[in-house]
Amino acid sequence: MNRIDYIVLIATILAIPLYGLWRTRGHPSLPQYLKGDASIRWGTIGLSVLATQAGPITFLSMPGQAYESGIGFIQNYFGQPFALIAVCAIFVPIYQRLKVYTAYEYLGQRFDQKTRLLGAFLFLVQRSIAAGITIYAPAIILSALLGWDLNLTIWLAGGFVIAYTVVGGTKIVSLTQRYQILVILIGMALAFGIAVHRLPDDLTFTNALSIAGTMGKLQAVDFSIDPSRRYTFWSGMLGGFFLSLSYFGADQSQVQRYLAGGSLRASRIGLLFNAIVKVPMQFLILLLGAMVFLFYQFEQPPMFFNQPAYQRALERGYGPQLTALQMQFDDVFVHKRDAIQAMSTASTENSPALTTQVRELDAQARAIRDQTRKLLEQAGANPKSKDSDYVFITFVLDHLPHGVVGLLVAVIFCATMSATSAVLNALGSTTAVDLYRPLVRPSASDHHYVIATKVLTAAWGLVAIAIASFASLVENLVEAGNILGSVFYGSILGLFLVAFFMRNVRGSAVFFAAVVAQTLVLILFFTSSIGYLWYNVIGCAAVLLFAWILQQTVFRNAQPATVES
Amino acid sequence: MSEQDLPPFFGTWRRAYAFAIAMFALEVALLYAFTLRFS
Repeated sequence: MNRIDYIVLIATILAIPLYGLWRTRGHPSLPQYLKGDASIRWGTIGLSVLATQAGPITFLSMPGQAYESGIGFIQNYFGQPFALIAVCAIFVPIYQRLKVYTAYEYLGQRFDQKTRLLGAFLFLVQRSIAAGITIYAPAIILSALLGWDLNLTIWLAGGFVIAYTVVGGTKIVSLTQRYQILVILIGMALAFGIAVHRLPDDLTFTNALSIAGTMGKLQAVDFSIDPSRRYTFWSGMLGGFFLSLSYFGADQSQVQRYLAGGSLRASRIGLLFNAIVKVPMQFLILLLGAMVFLFYQFEQPPMFFNQPAYQRALERGYGPQLTALQMQFDDVFVHKRDAIQAMSTASTENSPALTTQVRELDAQARAIRDQTRKLLEQAGANPKSKDSDYVFITFVLDHLPHGVVGLLVAVIFCATMSATSAVLNALGSTTAVDLYRPLVRPSASDHHYVIATKVLTAAWGLVAIAIASFASLVENLVEAGNILGSVFYGSILGLFLVAFFMRNVRGSAVFFAAVVAQTLVLILFFTSSIGYLWYNVIGCAAVLLFAWILQQTVFRNAQPATVES
Repeated sequence: MSEQDLPPFFGTWRRAYAFAIAMFALEVALLYAFTLRFS
C-alpha cells in the first residue's frame, strides 16, 4: 500500500461515519435512539439488513472459498428467501403491532419475565462473542499481510465504530450501513472487472468460464441427495431456511434493522429486497473468487497464500523441505498453464485429453499445497485461519492498481464497521430494554434510558474488543462464528416458534424447555461430532417438544402468565 | 392491514411474496442453466 491507498482508505472509512454523525446530530428521544425515525425508508432498511449480514468474513473468505472449492456454497443461501417471507408474514407484524424495541420484549409479553430474560441472555452471550470474532478476523489477516500491529488494527476497527454507534444509535447505524454497503459493492465490482481484464487477451469471457467450469469451480446447483456432499440444493433449502429464520426472526441485530423507521410497509419491502438480491450478490462474490482462481492459472500464485506463516516456517529451519515443494509447485504450474492455454484453443477431438491432463495437474497442485500446510503445522507456524481466507486479499495487494487497493482495504473495514455497529447497537439496546429497565430502574425518564443505552453500548464495544484481543485462542475463525450461531440459534428460534404457534404453552413450560434444549445442544457440542448446522434443527425441535411435554405434564394446571406492559 | 400499508407496485402482500418466490425460482433456474453450460 502506498500513500494514495492510505488516503483512499482513511477518507473512505472516516467520511461515512462523520456524515452519519452530522445527519444524526442533536438529542434523540428513546424511540428515536432505539428505532430511528420515520425518515428511514425501505431502501435504507434493505441495505442495512444486507450490510449487517455481510460482515468482513463474507468479503475476505467467500472469494477464497470459491477459489478452493467452487461456487457451490451459493446453495447455503437458498433457504433465505423463504425464511425472509416467513419473517415478513409472521414476525414483523407482531413486533410492529406490539411496538416492541427488542424481539425479547415480545417474549415477555407472550410468556413471562424469566423467558424474556432467557432469550435476551442467550442473544447477549452469542452475539458479544461473535462481535469479537467479527473485529478479530479481518484484523489478524490485514495485520499479517500489511505488517500492522494487531492490537492497533483491532482498536482502529473497533474503537471508531463504538464511538459513532454510541453517539448516533439506530439511525446512524442504518444510515452509515447504506453508504458502507455501497462502497463494498463498488469495490467488489471493481475487483471483479480488474480480475477479468487481467486474464490473457486471447481468452474470451465465455472461454474463461468454460475453463473454470472444467476445473470444477462453477457447479452452482447440485440436486444430489447424497448426504456426504457438503453443499446441495436440498441442504441449502432446509439448513439455510432454519438458520435464516433464526437469524432474521430472533436475532436483535437484524430485528432492530428492519424495525427501524417503524413502518410495516418499509420493513417488509426492505426484507423482500434482501430475499431477491441476496442470491445474485453472493453468486457474483463467489464468481469473483472463480475469476481470481482463473487469473492464478496464468499468473503464478504463491504456494501458500498466508506468507507470514510460510516465512515463520522458513525461519524455523524448514527451508529445504519448503524449497523442494516450491520447485514441484513451480513445475506443475508451468505444465498446467501450458495445458490450459492449449485447451482454450484445442479442437473438439483433442479437448477431452487436455481436460483430463489439466484436472490431473490441478490435483497435483492441490496435493502440494496440502503438503505445505501440513509442513507448516509441523513447524508450529500453523495459521489461525484457513489459507483460502488470504487468497482474495493477496490478489488485491499484489495485482490491483494503487488507489483500488486502498478502496478494497476500506471495503474490509467498512464491512467490519457495518456488521459490528449493528451488533453493538443491538447488544446495548437489549441490555437496556430487557435487563436494565425491568430489573434495575423500572420507572426512570426516557432521557435516562438513552444515556443508559449509550453507556451499555460502549461497554459491549469494549467487551467485543477484549474478546477480539483473546480470539487468537480460536483455531478457525470463520467456522467459529458459524458454530457459535448454530449452538444458540436453535433454542432462541424454538422460543419464538412456541410463542407463535403453540398458544396453549405457558411461560414456565417454554422456559424450562429452552434451558433443557440449550443444555442438550451444549452436551452434543462438547461430546459429539455431528455437523454444526444440525444444532439449529435439534435445538429448535427440542424446545418445541419439551415445551409441549412440560405443558401437558408438570405445568398442566399452570395459569396463563400476566401480560406485561 | 389497510390498503395503505400495501406497496403500490406489488398490489397485495400475497403478490409480493409470490413475486419474491418467482424471482428466486428464476435465479435458481438461471444458476442451474449456468451449471449445465459451464460444468
